[in-house]
Amino acid sequence: MKLTNHPALLEQLAASHALGTLRGGARRRFETLARDSVTIRTQALLWQERLASLTELQPSEAPSANVWKRIANAVENERQKTRAAIPQSKVSAARGVSAWWRGAAAAGALATVAGLVVGVQQHRQLGEQASQLAQTSRQNAELAQAREALAQQNTELLAQLKAQPDIAYVAVLADGKFNASMLVTFDARQQALVLKRVGAYQEAADKSLQLWALPESGGPTSLGVLDGQAQMRLVANDQQVRATPALAISLEPKGGVREGGPTGPVLFSGRVLTTR
Amino acid sequence: MALEPTDTQLTALLIRIAPRDADAALALRELYDLTAKRLYGVALRVLSNREWAEDALQDAYLNIWRIAGDYRSVLSPPMAWMGVIVRSRSLDFLRRRNSERVDTALELDDFMSDTLASNATDPIDAAQASQQATALHQCLSRLENKQREVVSLAYMRDLSHNELAAQLKLPLGTVKTWIRRGLEQLRQCMARVV
Repeated sequence: MKLTNHPALLEQLAASHALGTLRGGARRRFETLARDSVTIRTQALLWQERLASLTELQPSEAPSANVWKRIANAVENERQKTRAAIPQSKVSAARGVSAWWRGAAAAGALATVAGLVVGVQQHRQLGEQASQLAQTSRQNAELAQAREALAQQNTELLAQLKAQPDIAYVAVLADGKFNASMLVTFDARQQALVLKRVGAYQEAADKSLQLWALPESGGPTSLGVLDGQAQMRLVANDQQVRATPALAISLEPKGGVREGGPTGPVLFSGRVLTTR
Repeated sequence: MALEPTDTQLTALLIRIAPRDADAALALRELYDLTAKRLYGVALRVLSNREWAEDALQDAYLNIWRIAGDYRSVLSPPMAWMGVIVRSRSLDFLRRRNSERVDTALELDDFMSDTLASNATDPIDAAQASQQATALHQCLSRLENKQREVVSLAYMRDLSHNELAAQLKLPLGTVKTWIRRGLEQLRQCMARVV
């Protein structure tokens, strides 16, 4: 019997094949015939297409808000891996704001995960975390692995972070060797950035540290100048922080620069992570 | 989803996602806002467990993020393409889970007997579905409820006659008959509509 002479039967088989209920030997025989005959193949593909639309006919339901957050974080992680893959020599060879930015973004890659860890601990085990980070950073080869492992924890950690209602954003600013030096949290209720020094760095008396937002496009914008204290607050609005994927701190003359971008070296930088 | 997305709109978003740059991340968010409810419905239908369905949905969107560039060469409507991705991710998930635990079938049973008992047709907004889906929906709505549900479950969960019979606690012959009649009526109807 030639299947192509029996269009109704052919369609039945093609439909069962696409549905998935044609199994075993019958399925294999049909697939063999389909490879030999364009008519059979066409019917098979046509029914696959038709039944694929069953996925469009299922009742809708809203997933929980967490799903998007997890997707956004995973996508951000992937994008950072790509960015961090820019060879280090290329970054340091380039000059000007764009090189500054790129270097900051690369350094921020690790701090993304570090930020989560430290953020969850909510300052309590900060010293311990920072020293763990410092240890990790000494072995460059293990960095990628550590990041992978920490990324695995992202979901749980974010869930814990959510339980802290005031903290909308968190960033750990680290130096070029991934030593955490500054913990920055954004308190949405107070509309303030809280900066806490966690490293040993202390600027000279004639210098000031200045905090910069690094928006996706355009140059760095100043968020304020740090005093010499271990912890301080800077007034900032939600909009400013939300539009900023990364923060950085540069070393400036005493009092900081009033206009334009940073003039001194970038000491610390890191990604801004949303916690809700 | 106050405004229903058109195929053109979704296709444009997939094209923006392809380069995986900063704009792509924004486009992914838009795509998610427009499609998450519908695609979560797909995952839920396959897995009938919210937590797993959310995991599968997350996987599926990450997959879409990675392979959006391939969509250019695909001729299916965007919702169907994404629906198939979600279904296949969910099925992977189901297979892994089924190999881990044996009691999943219990939950599925409850879900399916509810579905079979209900007499309502699935609500569908015609503006939201592709032309192909609208045609399929028209033809499905002419089937008896139980035939429609068994066909739909067979596809969504990739179940054999035997598995359907076991899970629905129906005689194998009944399942085979419903599916055969269901597909035959679909065949005749689709020939007229499309």
